[in-house]
Amino acid sequence: MKKVHVLILSVMMLIALAVAGCGSTTDSKPAAGKTGTAPEIKAIQDRGTLKVGVKVDVPKFGFKDPKTGQIDGFEIDLTRALAKKILGDEKKFEAQGVTAKTRGPLLDNGEVDLVIATFTITEERKQSYNFSEPYFTDGVALMVKKDSGITDLKGLADKTIGVAQSATSKKAIQEAADKQGIKVKFLEFGTYPEIKTALDSGRINCFSVDGAILYGYLDDTTVILNDRFTPQEYGVASKKANTELAKVVNDTINDMKKSGELDKLMQKWGLK
Amino acid sequence: MSGPFAGFKWLALINDWTVFAGGFVQTILLSALGLMLALGLGIFFGLLGTSHVKLFKILNRVYVEFIQNTPLVIQIFFLYHGLPHLGIMLPVFVVGVLGVGIYHGAYIAEVIRAGVESVPKGQLEAAYSQGFSYWGAMIHIVLPQAKRISYPPLTNQAVNLIKNTSVLAMVAGGELMYYADSWSSTNLYYGPSYVVTGLLYLSLCFPLASFAKRMERKLEVSS
Repeated sequence: MKKVHVLILSVMMLIALAVAGCGSTTDSKPAAGKTGTAPEIKAIQDRGTLKVGVKVDVPKFGFKDPKTGQIDGFEIDLTRALAKKILGDEKKFEAQGVTAKTRGPLLDNGEVDLVIATFTITEERKQSYNFSEPYFTDGVALMVKKDSGITDLKGLADKTIGVAQSATSKKAIQEAADKQGIKVKFLEFGTYPEIKTALDSGRINCFSVDGAILYGYLDDTTVILNDRFTPQEYGVASKKANTELAKVVNDTINDMKKSGELDKLMQKWGLK
Repeated sequence: MSGPFAGFKWLALINDWTVFAGGFVQTILLSALGLMLALGLGIFFGLLGTSHVKLFKILNRVYVEFIQNTPLVIQIFFLYHGLPHLGIMLPVFVVGVLGVGIYHGAYIAEVIRAGVESVPKGQLEAAYSQGFSYWGAMIHIVLPQAKRISYPPLTNQAVNLIKNTSVLAMVAGGELMYYADSWSSTNLYYGPSYVVTGLLYLSLCFPLASFAKRMERKLEVSS
């Protein structure tokens, strides 16, 4: 019976861990004073650098150039603007590559202050994180192989569609398919390059994600269909407790919208 | 309450329990079939390794060294993404069974070979002197002794095999880890998702591991 005790003990330890995790987040909340700078912003200023989670595999948004090792894109420019606002210097930021799987935990454990990584705003996600006003809106698009002869969603009936593990595109396509009365299957992959690999090897018939992201993977053998589905809104995410930081981010984005700076950045990256 | 382990996130998981149950069943099926393949390959190649025929020994070495010294992830990627370019499109479930089966087959081959070689040479010679043939001696004298030595490491391989089926999540394998990733990356309730998934793997592996421990203890007493 000793083993049963060990098992019970390990389960209890896990629960204790879980409770401890909750405790620490609630503790940090009341520390936010009304006067002066919020502690989370002060922490960033003391550190002298803004830590941001960005995509490294999405051309035009956040992409690490294999030749130079530099990460650049529309979302990196947005990061620069935020660094300038919070720290007064657009160079004072540290970008870290994130995936759909890592961006949530990295925010929770404070490894990054903000996530600016083609993060679609949903009601469900708002319960876990603060999201800014959308800085970019895009419809979900479909990419197929040229030789497949598929021209619209109807052509994908009973076919397999590859999506990224962050199923906002899956939901959008599913709804559209239901409306048209066709059945489609989905396979989820961790990163976009993996979906492209699966399309090349014929594992999937279609690669579906937000249009602007999809254009980064277009080549001679593939074509992007004209259909667009449920617009996806990207927001800057921050830890739920860091409400002051979220406010600063939101104000900055609204200012950039009003001044036309955001539009200019989109034009710079060919996203308009 | 906020944070990764907030109460409403646990409720959401309980609501969607069928997602995890489906993946769990798939993991069990994958593990069972994978283990059968691994045992078959392992025993076959393990015995080749103990043979006195040079060609058999070479075959054993090529298989074991090639599989043991390349990552399982690469092998799965080859089966899933590589073979289709050669015109072979295996269903992902078959990719999983072949992947973990071949991978652990190499380790089991070593376990079997070590088990057989651990039986003192004198046993075989004594059997010969009593008029046993090679195979007669193997089946009645050597293998029963080798079996006892091989059991504990074999169960360890079974435990590792179960855990390694999670690699299939990378190629949309439809097993437990895939659904855990899929579910938690949609709603970002990763806290409960990975705790429960971990516990489910534990519920499969822990009984097996304790079984191995018991076997080991028995072995100490009897030898």
